Amino acid sequence: MDTIVKENIDPKDLKSFEVLYIEQQRRGYVSEKTQFDYAWCLVRSRYISDMHKGIELLKDLLRSAKDDLSKRDYLYYIAIGFVRIKEYESALEYTEAIQKIEPENKQAKELQSYIKQKLKSDGLIGMAIVGGAALAVGGIIGATVAAMRKKKSNQ
Amino acid sequence: MAAGPYNYSYIFKYIIIGDMGVGKSCLLHQFTEKKFMADCPHTIGVEFGTRIIEVASQKIKLQIWDTAGQERFRAVTRSYYRGAAGALMVYDITRRSTYNHLSSWLTDARNLTNPNTVIFLIGNKCDLDAQRDVTYEEAKQFAEENGLMFLECSAKTGENVEDAFLDTAKKIYQNIQDGSLDLNAAESGVQHKPATPRNPINTDQPPNKEGCAC
Repeated sequence: MDTIVKENIDPKDLKSFEVLYIEQQRRGYVSEKTQFDYAWCLVRSRYISDMHKGIELLKDLLRSAKDDLSKRDYLYYIAIGFVRIKEYESALEYTEAIQKIEPENKQAKELQSYIKQKLKSDGLIGMAIVGGAALAVGGIIGATVAAMRKKKSNQ
Repeated sequence: MAAGPYNYSYIFKYIIIGDMGVGKSCLLHQFTEKKFMADCPHTIGVEFGTRIIEVASQKIKLQIWDTAGQERFRAVTRSYYRGAAGALMVYDITRRSTYNHLSSWLTDARNLTNPNTVIFLIGNKCDLDAQRDVTYEEAKQFAEENGLMFLECSAKTGENVEDAFLDTAKKIYQNIQDGSLDLNAAESGVQHKPATPRNPINTDQPPNKEGCAC
């Protein structure tokens, strides 16, 4: 899963799909396929602003999606996008939505356990920071108490 | 990628292509997990799998990109063809239309990979012989005319699946040995990873450098 999530698109490929999208936009009609191709590339870009834009384009497609198969595809790449921008909670919601359509979907399941793992390790890091701060505060109090005791015994 | 010596000497990139529902993901699953996935849904975009194999006492890591067969994904999945050392092109022996579309898949494979990419034709679902719609002889002839390697396989029973992946690797390895595949060329689809550093002391360059030209 790590390979799928972290894989970046070649900027030249992104550019070629962007050209098609802009051309259709200029003519006043963007087809579902062109928008999807461009959005899928944006989500795999190395730039965070592109990933956000890709997610928005996919959400737009999702709103007008006619069948479950396309809905599933859009949901999956929105989830991938959220993972890439490290918004794991949102990503999780989208993988759950895929499972409403295809409960046994292996790709959705794998992505979901990957996200849960990320949330868990992020949580542990968070706890380590809080724990470390507590230890530091404890240390200061301890040192103060010790110093006060020392002072007292010296008196 | 982890630093330090690798437990394999080469990485080969593979792609699996072909119409929707011919069993590409099931072939990959059978090869990497040695299991058959029944009722597997259509792949979303691309899937990825790896397995370390051995060819001529060399450990080789296969990095396999399994592309979705849905037409919707066709344009963007083309970007995964680049730099493939091996391409497994799959049709379903019980559905003639999947065989008829091979020339279009082959055109993509030829145009988007390098001239040395090994293309292996797989006629999947050979366990369903009673429903056969494409003869072995016909496909064999197509393969010969186009210079492709060919086997009929079954992702369900596992028949010939191992051979298709391994024979492709053997052919790639042979191309490296006889010099027809230049490892230094861009997009050869092969990376050499020395299992042990050649000169661990007094070396200026780390032996595990990505895409090293050793």
